[in-house]
Amino acid sequence: ERLRMFKNKGKDPTALRRQRVEVIVELRKAKKEEQILKRRNVERNEMEGNLSTGEGERHEMIQLSLEEIVQGVNGSDAELQLQATQATRRLLSRRKDPPINEIIELGIIPRLVEFLTYADNAPLQFEAAWALTNIAAGTSDHTKAVVEGGALPAFISLLSSPHMHVSEQSVWALGNIAGDGPLYRDAVIYCNAIPPLLALVSPATPVWFLRNITWTLSNLCRHKNPCPPLDAVQKMLPVLICLLEHEDKEIISDSCWATSFLTDGSNDRIQVVVDTGILPRLVELMASPELIILTPALRTVGNVVTGTNEQTQAAIDAGVLAVLPHLLQHAKPTIQKEAAWILGNIAAGPCWQIQQLITCGLLPPLVELLDKGNFNAQKEAVWAVANFTTGGTVEQMVELVQSGVLKPLLNLLLAKDSKTILVILDTISNLFLAAEKLGEAERLSLLVEKLDGLEKLEALQIHDNRVVCQVALNILEKYFPGE
Amino acid sequence: MFVSDCRREFYDVIVNQRVLLLVASDVDALCACKILQALFQCDHVPYTLVPVSGWQELETAFLEHKDQFKYFVLINCGANVDLLEILQPEEDAFFFVCDSHRPINVVNVYNDTQIKLLVKQDDDLDVPAYDDIFRDEEDEEEDSENESDGSEPSEKRRRFEEDVIERTMKRRQRREWEARRREILFDYEQYEYHGTSSAMVMFDLAWIMSKDLNDMLCLTFQSQLQVNVALLVLHAPAAPNCILCSTEMQYRRATEEVLVLEFCYYFLRLALYQHWSLYESLCNTSYTSASLKLWSVQGQKRLQEFLADMGLPLKQVKQKFNSMDMSLKENLREMIEESANKFGMKDLRVQTFSIHFGFKNKFSASDIVYATVSLMENVEKEGPETTNFIKALDSLSRGNLDKLHQGLDLAKKQLRAIQQTVASCICTNLVISQGPFLYCSLMEGTPDVKLFSKPVSLCLLSKYLLKSFVCSTKNKRCKLLPLIMAAPMDVEQGTVIMVGIPPETESSDKKNFFGRAFEKAADSTNSRTLHNHFDMSIIELKAEDRSKFLDALISLLS
Repeated sequence: ERLRMFKNKGKDPTALRRQRVEVIVELRKAKKEEQILKRRNVERNEMEGNLSTGEGERHEMIQLSLEEIVQGVNGSDAELQLQATQATRRLLSRRKDPPINEIIELGIIPRLVEFLTYADNAPLQFEAAWALTNIAAGTSDHTKAVVEGGALPAFISLLSSPHMHVSEQSVWALGNIAGDGPLYRDAVIYCNAIPPLLALVSPATPVWFLRNITWTLSNLCRHKNPCPPLDAVQKMLPVLICLLEHEDKEIISDSCWATSFLTDGSNDRIQVVVDTGILPRLVELMASPELIILTPALRTVGNVVTGTNEQTQAAIDAGVLAVLPHLLQHAKPTIQKEAAWILGNIAAGPCWQIQQLITCGLLPPLVELLDKGNFNAQKEAVWAVANFTTGGTVEQMVELVQSGVLKPLLNLLLAKDSKTILVILDTISNLFLAAEKLGEAERLSLLVEKLDGLEKLEALQIHDNRVVCQVALNILEKYFPGE
Repeated sequence: MFVSDCRREFYDVIVNQRVLLLVASDVDALCACKILQALFQCDHVPYTLVPVSGWQELETAFLEHKDQFKYFVLINCGANVDLLEILQPEEDAFFFVCDSHRPINVVNVYNDTQIKLLVKQDDDLDVPAYDDIFRDEEDEEEDSENESDGSEPSEKRRRFEEDVIERTMKRRQRREWEARRREILFDYEQYEYHGTSSAMVMFDLAWIMSKDLNDMLCLTFQSQLQVNVALLVLHAPAAPNCILCSTEMQYRRATEEVLVLEFCYYFLRLALYQHWSLYESLCNTSYTSASLKLWSVQGQKRLQEFLADMGLPLKQVKQKFNSMDMSLKENLREMIEESANKFGMKDLRVQTFSIHFGFKNKFSASDIVYATVSLMENVEKEGPETTNFIKALDSLSRGNLDKLHQGLDLAKKQLRAIQQTVASCICTNLVISQGPFLYCSLMEGTPDVKLFSKPVSLCLLSKYLLKSFVCSTKNKRCKLLPLIMAAPMDVEQGTVIMVGIPPETESSDKKNFFGRAFEKAADSTNSRTLHNHFDMSIIELKAEDRSKFLDALISLLS
């Protein structure tokens, strides 16, 4: 009965499987985009100096005022329509401060949408599509203006345009609209965009075109609350699986991101992806030297092991445990951290999955990461050890201690982060409980003392966080009575 | 990368390691090796010496030993090709390359981990700047740079007007950069030449080291050193340094009882004359032979007149130099120089080192060079391939006078053979102008042809022949041409050995462009050639491919 108490310990095993902290990712992304912007500005300044030769015709283009644009677009002269649309497009495609709001306020969006239907004027279709693409690339309000201008059906019918650059531009526009959020994503899907979009994928499709299609597909898989409709997902998956086999790394990357979005949800959605049998390929991609491939592959498999025991086992069967040791030692801290996150979720499983961790030799790299990794990765490794001690058998705990986990674990008691300290203290309690069952609690106390753990525990008695003080005190009273 | 502090970055690093010494078969390499061996002996550095005559042997030797060694010292080989590319070593293997071959391969120059170049940097190296020849991978992948950190793809993307232009601009810039790179590398790699001798580099190292050695070691060491220093003079650019060394050496020689090193400001440019007869030496020295045109009847007559002018009796001139009348020998230099001037030989005087072991044994630097080359390229088989190398190396030790004398005998044989071959080539008009270069091919069956299947001997012959040809021809244009010479190499395999040497002009800096030209001609004709020698201007070639190869060479250089 004691054993059962220990194993359950009042914790819901699914609660152990934590979702990733999105905020951090978001912050990182924002910062990155800022950098990209800066970089582009620099490039542009350099460009302006160099452009004078060879590209002269671009400078000869007529600059139109906003009124002239309105007149041209609304007029009936085909030549002027094209000129005005082109001028609009050029304003919207400059790098610095594109005047999106001003263009929207001109009220020309419905007219631009109308141009999309001029099947006998492909240049005009292309210019209008490009202009609308760039408007839709703005804020949600900007995207809304395009959709409410009636652009969705027009773009979808242009997917089948005989002119490849027109159809590519439409793919791009639809990607921007779908990327706005679940609402417009589903709007695109309900307008039946997926069949013509998928029809564009063929062995003859040029790489640059295929990259855009893949990115748009990934946006159609993106966003939760709600997640994309199941039948849409089932239509896209076979194509995404083909794209995962492509040799272009950007195509692999974006299709991999698509699977990561699809698995970032409930277990039945994870199951849809697992059922395609794609896991071995994803595990293979986890070993890629390319960060843009490795990251989404790691993310997808990480999502899968947050699922049921069977889903986790499917990832293990696909060989994930063989690539993890390498990733735990990856040069990039974020990769170490995500790898440790996967490890932690497998360790949260039943003891026969924990046994597979041990058999596949994951304890040494885990201990190594705990000892020398980047702090964020160390925190994740602490979680992994904690989960291990929650679900592992007594024998497995012995194995864990023998692999040298205590020393780095106790060292991390010096961390500034109370949450981490509490998790470590829980882990230590778990280990002592297991030791008691073997009648080895005293030996464990001695070991902790030898590793300078005792003084660290004592120091925690005067920690700022009261819970930390209390838990530390409990351990001291229970296992170090003489002190 | 270049090593700036030879002692700290080279010697101190290897002194506690097991070292593999890979040494090319040339006199400079032997001398450098000898100096380094002496240092290794003093410090008890365990090393293995492997002589390598070409790239193939270098690769084989490396493969055989790479598991036992991490430290490799290459002497007079390895600098002028991408070593890591041809050897494919593990990352923990280190190469110390002491090599006079130029130009140095740019990858070797800019590798800062595995390749350490022991090269005097005051040489005029003109290595292209790093940024002109290497581009970091990241620059190439700029298109996807914004995603390369693996963050999520953006949800929305604007299409920029510049995208298209930017891409073409980048491509254009890249093309321009690559064209420029090709041009820079072409200029840099076009000419082959030799920098400061490796023996000189090693001598400098030893000189620094010897200051810390105690007296006892110093004695053994210095005596070894002095023999070697004498040889350095052969390498003309090093001469001024040698003079510096010699003055310092004067102070030290008192400690050594029997060996005297002497710097001669006035020495006769006559091959081996102190070990031969003056007559033989005059006949077989390229300078005198070419100036007097000894291959013709008139030339022989001129020689008689020259001797008569000096007032030396034929009997005296023809007997061993050692046995010549002392009174004649005393004024010999002045007598010879005076007459030589009358016969148009103004450069009969050279500066050199000579060494005396006791009374009897006196050698000039050039004597020893001739002897060593002859030992090294001895065609009489006396055991495995490395025997010649070891013998030549031994002949540089003072204790091995018999080997040195054996070498001198071989050298005399070789000089006679060269002389006779030159005479017959000129008399039978074997030197042909091909337009951009002169060409001479030795036929199978020519007397002594076997001697010239060896690279250094063939080079010596080529130089003598070109000098003589320039003196014999009246065609002014021909005097300015370089020479390609071919000789049978392996009759069974049907191969010839071919060398190209630069023109015989006073001012020339002796840069050789044949290496690149041979490569290109071979490529364009699919000729079966082997660039095995460390000098790129020496190749092996299938005899059947010779004519198409030469045709390609002519059109390439015209």
